Amino acid sequence: MSAAPRNDGAIRVAGLVFTVLYATLIGWLFTGQPQTVAQITGGLASTIGAYSVDQQSLADGLRFFRNDQFVEARMAFARADPAIRDARTQFYIAYSYYRQGWGRLYHDDALYGEGLAVIDRAIALAPAGRLVVEDENLRIHSGEELKAELEAGRRREASDFNPMRVFRERK
Amino acid sequence: MTPAIREAIVLPAALLTVLLAGSIRIAQSTVFAPPSVFALVLGLLLIRVIVQSGALAPEQLLANARSAAANLNGLAVLLALWLASAQVLAVLIPESGLPRIVFAVFLLILLINTAAAAPDRVRLLRSLSVTFGALFLLKFVVLRELSAPGTSGLKRVLQALLEGVTLGSLLQPPSHVATSYLALLSLGLFLVAVFLLPDRGLERSEALVKADLQVRTTPTRR
Repeated sequence: MSAAPRNDGAIRVAGLVFTVLYATLIGWLFTGQPQTVAQITGGLASTIGAYSVDQQSLADGLRFFRNDQFVEARMAFARADPAIRDARTQFYIAYSYYRQGWGRLYHDDALYGEGLAVIDRAIALAPAGRLVVEDENLRIHSGEELKAELEAGRRREASDFNPMRVFRERK
Repeated sequence: MTPAIREAIVLPAALLTVLLAGSIRIAQSTVFAPPSVFALVLGLLLIRVIVQSGALAPEQLLANARSAAANLNGLAVLLALWLASAQVLAVLIPESGLPRIVFAVFLLILLINTAAAAPDRVRLLRSLSVTFGALFLLKFVVLRELSAPGTSGLKRVLQALLEGVTLGSLLQPPSHVATSYLALLSLGLFLVAVFLLPDRGLERSEALVKADLQVRTTPTRR
């Protein structure tokens, strides 16, 4: 047997593998619609389990979050998770929208809306959709509770006119 | 370049790059837009024309005499060619309004007309280059320039008038200039890929075209 057909076979198999991988990447880009290079590289890294959040930025974000500096907290969280692949970080971002939008007399619908979009994304990122964050500084620990709280804040109900609502506390 | 390298690596890589580059729309956000169903149908028509002209000999990609790996490579090339054909046509169709409908209908008629004319490989490649070039200029130069936000007062007035006269159906959503470069890359690479496809050869292609014309011109008996 000559070497050429053997080489041809190897080239054909290598070409098939390459084609399948390239087509899969394009399919992933069509379905995932990443917006930045960081999201593309982070998404690819997470598929092989090589993605991790920047711990220093996460710690900065948590510090801002606990000081009620929500805009600064979100900037730090975005730095910590540039590819938007970490469910826990996304949970804190959604929580920051909730706390910033919460008011005794009314809630900010725009901020609650942003929070809902982020918590939906966080739940989708969590394994099997179960998102639980054990943090003693929080009064809401699961994705479902936070989502329900944000949805309730956007609904118009008779209880909105209850004067006793001014005594309610932010979670 | 050996046929194995061409079929297994070069053609799939080129055609999938056409699909990827043609899908990128950069504006306020970046979108990876797959070809629409209509573009996929137009892509099938384009493949039919490519096969008819002899620019692609499908029997050189899929045949009993070939090995399983070779046939899989051939199948990958055909699928990639279909998606890339659909994507280049989708790239040339404007995003919205009246121009979108006009360009889509024009491309449909043009492909049917090209199939009826039954050009050979060289003529088809020339025809595709001219058509793609003209539509690229219309979409990415003329329409884009008309739709670009006005920098002077006069341009803004003319734009407002144009928008009023056409009931807003002519102007296109603004896009980043990089989208035009990616579209040009996509079109150029597609033409190179079609040029590299395993063809029927001149004599056989001419014989097929002649036979096709003979069938069309022979009167049918009742």
